[in-house]
Amino acid sequence: MSLSVNLKKRLHSFSTEIGLSIGEEILVLFGPSGAGKSLLLNMISGIIAPDDGVVNIDHRDVYNSDKGIEIPIRLRRIGYLFQDYTLFPHMTVYENIAYGMSGLKKHAARTKVEELLELMRLAGLKERYPHEISGGQKQRAALARTLATEPRLLLLDEPFSALDYQVREKLRSDLMLIHQRYPITTIFVTHDLEEAFVMGEKVAIINNGRLEQVGSREEVFYQPKTRSVAKLLGTRNIFKGRVSRVKRAELTIETDEIGEVKATIDPIMHIHKGQLVSFSIRPEEIMIIRPDRPIDKKVRDNILEGVVDATVGKGTSHTIFFRTSDGKASLKIEMPNFAYKKIKPVKGNGIAVSLKKESIWIIPIN
Amino acid sequence: MDLFPLYLTLKVSIVATIFSVTIGLILAWLMAKHDFLGKGLIDALIMQPLVIPPTVLGYYILVILGRSSPLGRFLEDGLGITLVFTWRGAVIAATVASLPLFVKPARVALEAVDKNLENAARLLGRTEWQVWRTITLPLAWRGIAAGAVLSFARATGEFGATLMVAGNIPGTTQTMPIAIYDAVQMGDTASANTLVIIITLFSVSVLYFVNRFTRGLY
Repeated sequence: MSLSVNLKKRLHSFSTEIGLSIGEEILVLFGPSGAGKSLLLNMISGIIAPDDGVVNIDHRDVYNSDKGIEIPIRLRRIGYLFQDYTLFPHMTVYENIAYGMSGLKKHAARTKVEELLELMRLAGLKERYPHEISGGQKQRAALARTLATEPRLLLLDEPFSALDYQVREKLRSDLMLIHQRYPITTIFVTHDLEEAFVMGEKVAIINNGRLEQVGSREEVFYQPKTRSVAKLLGTRNIFKGRVSRVKRAELTIETDEIGEVKATIDPIMHIHKGQLVSFSIRPEEIMIIRPDRPIDKKVRDNILEGVVDATVGKGTSHTIFFRTSDGKASLKIEMPNFAYKKIKPVKGNGIAVSLKKESIWIIPIN
Repeated sequence: MDLFPLYLTLKVSIVATIFSVTIGLILAWLMAKHDFLGKGLIDALIMQPLVIPPTVLGYYILVILGRSSPLGRFLEDGLGITLVFTWRGAVIAATVASLPLFVKPARVALEAVDKNLENAARLLGRTEWQVWRTITLPLAWRGIAAGAVLSFARATGEFGATLMVAGNIPGTTQTMPIAIYDAVQMGDTASANTLVIIITLFSVSVLYFVNRFTRGLY
């Protein structure tokens, strides 16, 4: 199963132009509200007509403006999960799930619905109406209703964003298990960074109607191609400087805020001396140096001295806001709880941190 | 007492309501689910009978469908249908007068059906007709039924336009409201009272049922 799209649409104050292609995987479409994520799903499914372009599912065009192809929604075999569930309020859970199975014989349909009810943990609720079940149960019923039609493509438009945290987590893992069982090409739209990281084998960043970057989760999260992708992904520690020395795979960058910084790069990046670059380091990659121990060789470069501005506990980790001694730069540092307990940095403490040169990600400025 | 006016009123109102609901459903569906040029104008035209005097409405019907109009001549010579001074004329008058009372609530009810529910049904492989029958109509039916009852009630009470188009021929085109008018004019208080009581009981019960219908929409 596969999907490839290339679509254009102009609305009065917004325009979008996106090309994408995916296989049997979950692609997370991540971007801020109003980036055009839902519009893209609506155009793929046929709910909104694009101005121009191609939608190709399993090597067959369901939309092609040049060839004048526009297959009606009902024949596209696309499963769509809306944020507000869209269960039919006048039908029971059972009737909802059976709704799309009109082609099947009665007893075959019954067996299949029962199977899906079991799979989605809805067996006891089949006679209930949508207003009699919880939000999480509604979305599971909606997913079952969609799976009943054996879609070739699954489009999920922020399906869990109206649910509370625990239910959301459970549904995410449900969805991943189902995807392992039925490997359907899936697009999962979210504006939740954590959700994007958890769900995405492949992540596409969209902003302002354009695709900014697409790649594996690791590529996109740790190697953002542009400053705006880095910002969208919550990278706080972004700096700018001029390259003062290039020595094989190692750069030296002169910055105003944190002085001289060393970084390793991929030689294919073609960075030359004198070039202006941005670079970032993820909060969890910054090391706090323990004063009671000799400094490890790996973290000997890029040491910054400064003060702890604030610390915030977040369940499994702690965030430390660090300011350099001269006050020119601040960094966000994320550390796991076990490390935090050993060092216990509190507000006002003087500490030293190291920006490992392997962890610095260079973003060329065009 | 002559019960012909009661019989005629029911006959005219039932036929007029069938027309209003049939034409009105198409109009309400077009207005609720589509955008097209001149939509506002058509809406204003459909709603006219609510605001213009019924006699003016009747006069318009005479001008458009009377013997001197091309359409009226075609109906009479070509199809053998006479409208003016017949019960059919009363049906036309009652239909036009009651149409807006059906279209308004029906349109609101159709518009209130979440578009994504209809899209969900399409995505599950259903045709437009199936979507209309299994999703849109069942979810909007209370509003549609309420509109049908209201337009039936309006048709039973039609006076001005009916008088202009069908006239006041006892035993042929004399409906209840016209018979009441006649009775009062001739000083026949007993007949007037009976007819008034019948029509009042009828209106009160209609409104009571409309209220019960429209309570607790989805």
